[in-house]
Amino acid sequence: MMSSKILAWVTFLYFASFTGYLIGMIRGRDLWGKIASGAAAAGLLAHTAALLLRWKESYDLGIGHAPLSNLYESLVFFAWAVVFLYLVVEWRTRNRAPGVFVVPVAFFLMAFASLSPNVNDRIQPLIPALQSNWLTSHVITCFMGYAAFTVAFGLAILHLIKGRKKTGGTSRFLGLIPDREDLEELLYQSTLLGFVFLTLGIMTGSVWAHYAWGAYWSWDPKETWSLITWIVYAALLHARFVRGWRGTRLAVLALVGFAAMLFTYLGVNYLPSLHAYM
Amino acid sequence: MGIKQSPVWSFFSSLRLTLVLLAVLAVLAVVGTLVPQQETAQELARRFSPGTIQILSTLQVFDLYRSVWFLLVLGLLAANLVVCSLNRFPVSWRLFKAETPADERLFRDLPPERTAYPKGDREDILARAERALRRRYRDVRREELDRGVVFRGQRGRVTHLGVYAVHLGVLLILAGGVAGALFGFDGYVHIGEGETATAADLQGGKGQRNLGFAVRCDRFLVEMYDNGMPKTFQSDLTFLKNGQPALQGALLVNHPLTFEGIRFYQSSYGRSADGKARLSFTAKGEKKTEQTVTLGEAFALPGGEGTVQVLRVEEDMMQMGPAVKLGIRSDRGGIQFWVFRDIERIRRDNPGLYDQVPLFNPGLFAPYIFALEGVEERYYTVLKAATDPGLPLVMAGGLVLLAGLMIVFVVDHRRVWVLVEDARGKVRVAVTGRGQRTSAGLDRELSDLVRVFKEKGDAQG
Ligand code: HEM
Repeated sequence: MMSSKILAWVTFLYFASFTGYLIGMIRGRDLWGKIASGAAAAGLLAHTAALLLRWKESYDLGIGHAPLSNLYESLVFFAWAVVFLYLVVEWRTRNRAPGVFVVPVAFFLMAFASLSPNVNDRIQPLIPALQSNWLTSHVITCFMGYAAFTVAFGLAILHLIKGRKKTGGTSRFLGLIPDREDLEELLYQSTLLGFVFLTLGIMTGSVWAHYAWGAYWSWDPKETWSLITWIVYAALLHARFVRGWRGTRLAVLALVGFAAMLFTYLGVNYLPSLHAYM
Repeated sequence: MGIKQSPVWSFFSSLRLTLVLLAVLAVLAVVGTLVPQQETAQELARRFSPGTIQILSTLQVFDLYRSVWFLLVLGLLAANLVVCSLNRFPVSWRLFKAETPADERLFRDLPPERTAYPKGDREDILARAERALRRRYRDVRREELDRGVVFRGQRGRVTHLGVYAVHLGVLLILAGGVAGALFGFDGYVHIGEGETATAADLQGGKGQRNLGFAVRCDRFLVEMYDNGMPKTFQSDLTFLKNGQPALQGALLVNHPLTFEGIRFYQSSYGRSADGKARLSFTAKGEKKTEQTVTLGEAFALPGGEGTVQVLRVEEDMMQMGPAVKLGIRSDRGGIQFWVFRDIERIRRDNPGLYDQVPLFNPGLFAPYIFALEGVEERYYTVLKAATDPGLPLVMAGGLVLLAGLMIVFVVDHRRVWVLVEDARGKVRVAVTGRGQRTSAGLDRELSDLVRVFKEKGDAQG
């Protein structure tokens, strides 16, 4: 399939972009950062094209559906959303430092999607439970949320690194990281965005479950873990909003939230679940 | 002592409590995903000692999400939410209503790009300022300062109240969940193709519930894609009220049907022995006779040696495939034995079978040898039947929560002030503003406002 070939190149571009961000950060040169951003943007364009193409290819096979229906497709869309959100943040803040931590996540997702023997990249028809108009909105909202949390994760790591200034490291490296206050503001904004999307994702999922299984909530492990993730981020927002938590504690909560999110996405598959197909 | 001074109230009004409760809730939820719940828990029971199981069951670990613990935490959280919100509301209301008078200090140290010296006379410029603000902000007020006239425009003050919508949403969802658990029901209806059911088996083995009408499954349909993945599960149903067909429809996954307030979902399906089997037998040297038999049916052997009765029909007997149990009555007395369809394979896998288990020998009643050609199967469909009076509450809660989130996080309370004053024979306009959040949006708004006074021919104001 054409789309798979394009996606292989996209994976490569994200790796190139990551390398660029890394060299830019170590050498403190703007040129490498620009190359990295260019590679990420080119990758995103090709990625978008590949998604649309895969959508069309599914219609050619007579089983047309949006490319959001199995693990492979969700990984690919997840990576797309991560790069998309990251580039928006980079563009709005004019700072490339988070790229070193965010873009490799997209690269790993793509590499995992194409290399893991457990991930089937064929276009498959939809089983009855997936034949729902809610599938698309559910998957898009969930993964936009995941992507925003991933960006927040990158920012949280930067925040922690910046906080350990005393223990050394190249000062040029640290100099390129934005101020902790700015990082924190960005971290908070991405978390908010993720939280709104996750809320939407849980709600669309509930509506879908209501139609498909006759229960909007059945404490299925995936549902439960998404609620756990939601609770962690709700706690983060309250801690900041009401109790005025700042700095390291907030960054650590963002890491906990990210871990819960990853488990919701991938770990839950090792527990018995209705969501087994995703 | 007012209620607000009571220790109970102050306990529930701390956000630290909220954070603790949220953490406890998260931990309980994690435990619930690690320990098998409900039906699956019965498998676990075999691996532990009865004593351990007893303790764990008393702690309701196997039905955690309905356990006293879990409900207690949810209840505390709800109380916490209500008390905190009530405590906090007056503050938010004041912020919502706040009318801070314009202050000289607002206009101190403004950068030059926030001021303008427009042409025209004072009255003209005042009118223009007011028009420009009214166009952009719904709520505009005029104030007189010593220095000059100030127009204040604001929008988005509702953002101070959004939290209460979020919290109300959470409470509505919890209330809806409780209402559903108390007053709703959840059961499964098994119906063979062509059969009729009038009751649902309640979940958790809590007996049956009479539906008050009958459901007939006229046909069950499974369709597969070319690659063998399932494409469609469909039950064609007829709902009968007092024996009369009242509603007919196809039930598909994701497309429930509702009848008399009960929603039906296509849940699963299966195949079961229909009580019919195709049996054949030969006496030594004679021709094979084949006939279809039904469970309970009796027939006489052609030679008049006895009467055969079909005692059981199984589609999978002890995981050895289809089988029927026959009982034969004759002068020799009564005798019973099993006839397996795959008897040849079973014998190959279990040498000496007939000696060990004579009951499995299809030739037990000599001289006849019986054989099973097959068991007739037919589809049965499993419908989920449910009512949930809490559903409207939950839906309203979800919408309110979402609206609240938008109000809190997307709406910004923005206030802008436009000062019009005389400055050495000219009219000076100064523009400033405040928002709840730092964002580029306010800057853009202010620049936009200044431009009204900077451009020539700016009657568009
Ligand atoms: C869904 C997302 C939620 C958001 C966005 C949210 C937002 C907020 C905000 C902004 C405040 C501060 C109110 C103020 O300063 O006037 C607050 C307070 C509070 N929230 Fe939430 N909340 C959410 C969910 C919850 C949940 C699920 C609970 C627990 C059941 C909860 C419990 C509380 C409590 C108890 C307070 C009061 C703290 C105090 O006033 O000292 N919230 N919330």
